[in-house]
Amino acid sequence: MACPYLRYRASDEEHEFDHERPYCAAMGRFVSPMRADVCNDRHDFSHETHCDVYRRAEERTAEAADAADAVGESVD
Amino acid sequence: MGYGDYLDGEKLIVTVATTGGVHGKDANPNLPEQPEEIAADVRACEELGAAIVHVHGRDEHGENDASRLQQVDDAIRDRCDDIIIQNTTGGQGPLEERIEGIRTDPPPEMASLDLGPFKRDRHIITEHTRRSIDALALEMRDRGIKPELEVFNGGQLNEVFRLIDEGLLDPPYYVNLIFGGRAFTIPRPRNVINMVENLPAESAFNVLATGPHQVPLTTLGILLGGHVRVGLEDNLYYDDGRLAASNAELVERTVEIADRLGREIATPQEARTILGI
Repeated sequence: MACPYLRYRASDEEHEFDHERPYCAAMGRFVSPMRADVCNDRHDFSHETHCDVYRRAEERTAEAADAADAVGESVD
Repeated sequence: MGYGDYLDGEKLIVTVATTGGVHGKDANPNLPEQPEEIAADVRACEELGAAIVHVHGRDEHGENDASRLQQVDDAIRDRCDDIIIQNTTGGQGPLEERIEGIRTDPPPEMASLDLGPFKRDRHIITEHTRRSIDALALEMRDRGIKPELEVFNGGQLNEVFRLIDEGLLDPPYYVNLIFGGRAFTIPRPRNVINMVENLPAESAFNVLATGPHQVPLTTLGILLGGHVRVGLEDNLYYDDGRLAASNAELVERTVEIADRLGREIATPQEARTILGI
């Protein structure tokens, strides 16, 4: 299972490519070929275990949900 | 090999590592990834004096893909005259994937053989056990493929001695000494000299140094009678703050340095003779 923050994009504000490339929506930038293996859970990698960016993004999401719960809002 | 070989006029083998498995075009847009793009770069480097090309395969997204090695090799053979193809068997994939580097048709004349793991990022450690090293070494010998022995740090030089002791290598042994930040041997001139002094007999060596260490330490390697590898895989910059315009630009500089130091450049055929291919 690929990381939910993995996207494939051909451009951002700095780069434009002929082909779509792996892009981390949590970091807001393209990722290297080696990191893309983690994003895609290739070989024995797991994004949940091996990617600090994913974990921090999930923590932020959880904190936002907790804060919303505290004021009775939904973050759906 | 050593300073005496420099004085004796041993010719210099230049390897170009055009692509690698670490960086993408977002790091340097001039890094070639697709087969035809790589082959065009290799042709330019061959014309400047590169005798060996170290090859990685990438998929259409720029991600590592060993199954693309065949297409890259075919494109290089179409475009180039005589350059020696050296496929990678490195990287972070399992042995079943990495062994693709020695199963292209025809097989490459050379292939890299990583002699141990190294770290990348926070959680990536490439897996190179003695079992996989031996399997690759044996198959390379069976297929007549010359291994380039990748020594990422000092301790891995012991693996060269082990492979020799266990009869898995044929001389001359071609040892690639790798220097650079974080994962590799600490990039200092004294460490280059120390590693060279610890090589087994009947060795030829190559110096690979990453980033800003590429020029000074490969220059030292030239003076010590060794050979050199340059290219965007190892160094994305021409100098401080300026991205390299091409692999050819890096090869051209190395050839100029060698010329000033009095080392003649080996043709691919002369490289075959030096390496016993």
